Amino acid sequence: MKYIIETNSLSKQYGEKYSVKNLRLKIRPGCVYGFLGPNGAGKSTTMKMLLGLVKPTTGEISMFGKELYQSNRMEILKRTGSLIEAPSYYGHLSGRENLEIVQTLKGVPREEIDEVLKIVRLSGQQKKKVKEYSLGMKQRLGFAAALLGKPKLLLLDEPTNGLDPAGIQEMRELIERLPEEYGITVMVSSHLLSEIDQMATDVGIIDKGKMIYQGALQKLHDKARSTISMYVLNQAAAVQTLERYGESYAIKGGELVFGEREELQVARLVALLANGGAQITRVSAKQKSLEDIFLQLTGKQVSL
Amino acid sequence: MQREWRTEWIKVRYRKVGLLLMAFLMLIFLWVSWALSRNTKEEMADGYRMIFLQLPMIHTILAPTMLAMLASRLCDAEVKGDTLKLLCTLEHKGRLFDMKLLMGACYLALFVFAEVGILFIQGAIYHFQRPLEPVQILFFVLQIYLVSFAIFLLQVVLSFFFENQILPLAIGLLGSFVGLFSWFFANGIGKLVLIWAYYSQLCFVAFDWEKETRVITYYNKPFDVFSFALLIVLLVAGYVIGKSLFLRKEI
Repeated sequence: MKYIIETNSLSKQYGEKYSVKNLRLKIRPGCVYGFLGPNGAGKSTTMKMLLGLVKPTTGEISMFGKELYQSNRMEILKRTGSLIEAPSYYGHLSGRENLEIVQTLKGVPREEIDEVLKIVRLSGQQKKKVKEYSLGMKQRLGFAAALLGKPKLLLLDEPTNGLDPAGIQEMRELIERLPEEYGITVMVSSHLLSEIDQMATDVGIIDKGKMIYQGALQKLHDKARSTISMYVLNQAAAVQTLERYGESYAIKGGELVFGEREELQVARLVALLANGGAQITRVSAKQKSLEDIFLQLTGKQVSL
Repeated sequence: MQREWRTEWIKVRYRKVGLLLMAFLMLIFLWVSWALSRNTKEEMADGYRMIFLQLPMIHTILAPTMLAMLASRLCDAEVKGDTLKLLCTLEHKGRLFDMKLLMGACYLALFVFAEVGILFIQGAIYHFQRPLEPVQILFFVLQIYLVSFAIFLLQVVLSFFFENQILPLAIGLLGSFVGLFSWFFANGIGKLVLIWAYYSQLCFVAFDWEKETRVITYYNKPFDVFSFALLIVLLVAGYVIGKSLFLRKEI
């Protein structure tokens, strides 16, 4: 099985508007797949379609190498855990009783409740009514419910929403160790680039329902190469020197911009321009951030 | 199926559903006792028929509200806690709907069984002379149970569709008024499509009141088989439509 989740031309249309359009998801087994996009990009709708909660308008979904139909949906979802949007819970029941419901429906041994409570560090609060839980605790309870039955795939939609910084850190660490420690593939959505950057191995960027980038996060980082900018007083002399020595460059807003270069190359370039009478006033290296790439891809400001 | 059934019983813990039904049962008992206490010993001879006439009337007034509350107690936890998106990944959506109906059906069965108990208790207290006919109990159970279940079905659908449970409760109250007025409606198509009107429609006891002597004579009416069959049709149609609406509802 090459991909644990694969979709082909997946679309969801509400009236005239496409919430998701021709989406081709490819999620490798054993990865943490960051599903990134601005609010309203179609992340939740996509995840709901994967779980069969929303019926796709067109397209196919394959999970665990099997095409997902209404008839085999429950069978496939048995190996899947999910936490979609806000946590689901019965407020009048205790945390443990909430997990008992999921454990009974999944048909897994009762002992697993203790295991997942321990993982999400809720063992001490298990008898408390969930309506008395903080949002972070509710989120962790939802996470525990998703982990029941030792799923092979976890779909987490904005799991850190509403959590305090400590809670976010805790949730992130938990997600990061899932593939290695429990062999779980995780698909986690977020509108926070920094969050995805810290825990994902693969990333899919969606905007207005369309996938605009998909691949290893490292490849995205590779795109974030640094550039060298130089401010010169005599731009004509600088251009003449650069042309003479066949150096590639660009002029942006009065400054000369060069592609990524090694230290020695930069030193040589500076010497050439100085000798050519360019009168250099400043040299700076600029790292293109992931935010810049995201902005470039989506045309939207991203939350940090 | 068993798993889903077991989880429904976990979900209703601390919901005080039994207390709700007990409260209504007590109210019905007191109402019937009060109504009987106003009669002379001679009038009380036909006490069972009096009760068989009183109970559908009381049901018309109280049951729609009670059933709206019951449906809300059983379904609002899913709506409030936003648990449908979790449950529907763990069990078939249609089965969840069926389980809610089955839970309601069980509670209703206990309720109607307890009402039959009220009959016997009143009989023991007042020593009605005319004996209780088994067929009367059968008609009573069929009438009260099926009409109540049909109303409950409607309320379950409403409870699932409205986040604010005030609206289903308001419809329950409206049902009480519609049902109450239905006792004075002439028989017709209009009456037969109103589910709350079936308490009166299926009532199998009637009375004559002589103005001069001011004597009330109760008698058995033939059981309205046509209305009963129509109620079954409405129930089946309501189930099919309600379930399909629930299945189509996107989460």
